[in-house]
Amino acid sequence: MGMSVTAQNAHAGHDSIKNLEEVQVKNATKKKKIETEMKMAVSVDEFLSSSDNISFIKRGAYAWEPLLNNMSSERSTVTIDGMHIFGACTDKMDPVTSYVESNNLSAIDIKSGQQGSLHGATVAGSIDLKRKSTPFGMEKKWNAAYQSGFELNNKQFFNLGNVAYSGEKFVAEGSISYRKADDYYDGNNDEVKHSQYKKFNTSLGFAYKTTDLSSVRVDAIFDMAKDVGYPALPMDLSLSRALITSASYKQLFEEGLIKVIDSKIYFNAIEHYMDDTTRPENLVHMDMPGWSTTYGLVSKANLKKNSYSSEIQLNAYDNLSIAEMRMYPQDRSNRTMFAYSWPWVTTRYGGLSMNNSWDISEKSQINLGGSLGVNYNYSKYVEFNWIFHPGAPQEKTRFLPSLHAGYNLDIDHFNFAVGTGYGHRAPSVSEGYGYYIYNSFDRYDYIGNPDLKNEISYEANASAGFKNERFSLQGKINYFYIENYIIGRILSMGSPMNYQSVGVKGYTSLDYATLLNMSMNASYDILEHLHWKAALTYARGMDDKGGNLPFIRPLSYQTSLHFMHKNFGIQTAVNGDFEQINYSPQYGEDLTSAYTTWNLSANYSFKINKVGTTIQAGAENLLNKYYSTYADWGNIPRMGRNIFTSLKFSF
Amino acid sequence: MKSFKFLVIALYCAIASCTIDKTDYQAETGALVPQYYEFKEAVSFTSGTYKISIEALNGTFYKGYNELHLKIINTKTNQDVNTSEVTFLPIMSNTDGSKTSCPHLYNLPYDAANKYYTGYSVFTSESTTANSWKLYVSFTADNQQYAISGDIIVEKQSNKNLNMTAFTAKDNEQYVIALVAPQKPTVSENKLTAGIYKYNKPTTPAGTFPDPSQYSYSEVSDYTLKLDPRMPEPSMGNHSSPNNQDLTQQNDGLYHGVVNYTMTGNWTLNLIMMNQNGLILKGTVVPTDFTPGIEGVKSELYIDTLF
Repeated sequence: MGMSVTAQNAHAGHDSIKNLEEVQVKNATKKKKIETEMKMAVSVDEFLSSSDNISFIKRGAYAWEPLLNNMSSERSTVTIDGMHIFGACTDKMDPVTSYVESNNLSAIDIKSGQQGSLHGATVAGSIDLKRKSTPFGMEKKWNAAYQSGFELNNKQFFNLGNVAYSGEKFVAEGSISYRKADDYYDGNNDEVKHSQYKKFNTSLGFAYKTTDLSSVRVDAIFDMAKDVGYPALPMDLSLSRALITSASYKQLFEEGLIKVIDSKIYFNAIEHYMDDTTRPENLVHMDMPGWSTTYGLVSKANLKKNSYSSEIQLNAYDNLSIAEMRMYPQDRSNRTMFAYSWPWVTTRYGGLSMNNSWDISEKSQINLGGSLGVNYNYSKYVEFNWIFHPGAPQEKTRFLPSLHAGYNLDIDHFNFAVGTGYGHRAPSVSEGYGYYIYNSFDRYDYIGNPDLKNEISYEANASAGFKNERFSLQGKINYFYIENYIIGRILSMGSPMNYQSVGVKGYTSLDYATLLNMSMNASYDILEHLHWKAALTYARGMDDKGGNLPFIRPLSYQTSLHFMHKNFGIQTAVNGDFEQINYSPQYGEDLTSAYTTWNLSANYSFKINKVGTTIQAGAENLLNKYYSTYADWGNIPRMGRNIFTSLKFSF
Repeated sequence: MKSFKFLVIALYCAIASCTIDKTDYQAETGALVPQYYEFKEAVSFTSGTYKISIEALNGTFYKGYNELHLKIINTKTNQDVNTSEVTFLPIMSNTDGSKTSCPHLYNLPYDAANKYYTGYSVFTSESTTANSWKLYVSFTADNQQYAISGDIIVEKQSNKNLNMTAFTAKDNEQYVIALVAPQKPTVSENKLTAGIYKYNKPTTPAGTFPDPSQYSYSEVSDYTLKLDPRMPEPSMGNHSSPNNQDLTQQNDGLYHGVVNYTMTGNWTLNLIMMNQNGLILKGTVVPTDFTPGIEGVKSELYIDTLF
């Protein structure tokens, strides 16, 4: 995957099968409506899962943790319009993607490996959630859309609305949404208890054109989830809230090398309150609140001259992560027991990144880029960290360099790309400073180590493809050799704190680990209105002893047929995983069997007066197959047959 | 749109609604654990022109370890006496007529820098209607021997981190182990200080009361206190901490080690006391299994703490 293959050729998703139109824009981001071919009203998670190199760890029906290139979320940078946001839950119950809603996003930009270093140090790559941004002076001043739908399986009812005004000098837009779902039922028609959720999200944005070539913009997103069940975890969520705000200034230049400078300051605050009072089987009642506050600056310049173009980005942020645990004794008159699972950990990052590309001929292109960042950590209550790591420094500064290069060649119907990358990442707050963070997957309490070395990634990637009017085939491969790979290993000292736990694991560095990702995509237009697509992905992750890494997607496939004529469309898809042969018992995994699911949907568009209307109905897991995937936390079963309907009005 | 308006209203209510506040960590332990760093006069006696003032932390004698500062003042000249041999003996009288003492320093050395005599007393019980404590102090001034005694009140030590335990060991000797520091532990590595005292059985018949030879205690030398801290709370399943260090004797005569507390709450310091030769005199090895729901088994020698 060279740098030019920035946008994902989004194909197979392994859970919701949907395809995205293939869009390749040099050094630019993919612009695509947040919907998939199967389903027009999707959640952010469902949309993300339609991408090739994204898989998910699922702890329930809500807030899936995205894995990029089969690597856990601390190895990728997840940003909203370049703004860094960090979840406030030690158990990763709130990935950043859970704080946005599909109706305030316009696209999701996924970059693999070091090509994603524009937004900061990374190993796996970057996921940038692009907010909706209405341009000035549109012909149609007012635009609005309203979507509603119902999903039968978990009685999910959702309403999404957004409205935008576009004036010559002034733009205003807003969105609001509410989703409510009950417990879902698995393929055996058994209720999966504690899988309900309620999510409210709203956003506002105002932009003002200060001159012909400059504008200011302020944005805010407020997200609130309540009463969210996590069937795979021993506790649920009573409330999480996020306030995400930013103010930006954009200046365009008509002449010269620099085309655009876009600078933004931002602030976001996240609160996350876990709740175990809904689980009477729990021996111990615990409060586990978490807070994450980030403010930062992102400034980006786009340069272009003749065959040369470049993006330069300055990233700076300051994050404070706090997580507490308070255990209540059985005799409530006794003293409660308190500890910090994140002892007020500050992370500051400042870095300059650059992506350059040269068209050396009409057919070929070279890309070169890199970044240099400084990462600083400070643990306010470092005495917590000293219990396992006596004398560990309270402050730690790390330098995080990154480099990547790629070459792209198009010959007639063929295209080839090769690339390589090198980059460091700093340990995450949990990996560096976490304290008795209970992992219900392998049932260990995890302890961070402030002295962990930087994880260093060496990657190589290649792709080859063929495309003509009716047929396309593309193969992609990437390989990561990661030095000082951070993972939890059993500690011989200490004893568990959480009562479900069986032991204590400390984050340690393996000498190295390797990861291989492969995918093959094909599409064929059988008839004018009938299209076929298929994808096959394979990944393999191994540690330095040749053992398997956890959460590596087994061989998986997806194939779909799409028929569209005039206002009517029907699509069907089959997808599944093969048996997970290379599972990792060491990290709590067991053999996950193969499964196949079949989905079907149909939609019809028409106009009522001037209002564009689309109705859709369909079913996911039509055969009501009982299954769970390799990445389902605690082997919780996935949803059984789910009949969904939705309705969309565009004004 | 009506539902949206409703949602907006609901949103404002939600923002205003209260949630869990961040814990004030500094206040978290302070609320339960009183700590005193100021020496105040706890009691004073007068004999002729001499006044004896005994200072203790917070001006109070507590059950357990008490560091004591003793000043002798000539009330006429208002000058401190500093050349005297000072002896100190606490005696507890029971209504049944028995008289016992507790670990203490009998001959008090003079601290010239701070201008007081230093000592300690490990009161083994609180003053009650049945038990009353009396201090016997003697000193010489102007070549004259003075002996003064006075009643004192020993109060309950509400700080469990200064707990003590008294027991008879396998060698048939009576011992007292008292925690000296830290007064206010934190979730961290805590330097743990304790005193180990032994009752010296009298070898001679009692002379005139109070005969110090009948009430003699000494700090034991070169013992080891093996330490295994655990949380006794059933839900904590016998939780322990890593990197603890057994207590060994340092130059100050006290025993020093390290205890790691992984969270606040009730802790039990399970101890095994070994003599110079490594012979176990008291204490048993506790199970290390993680047993959620079951209260941890304690060593036969233990001290509870709480912070």
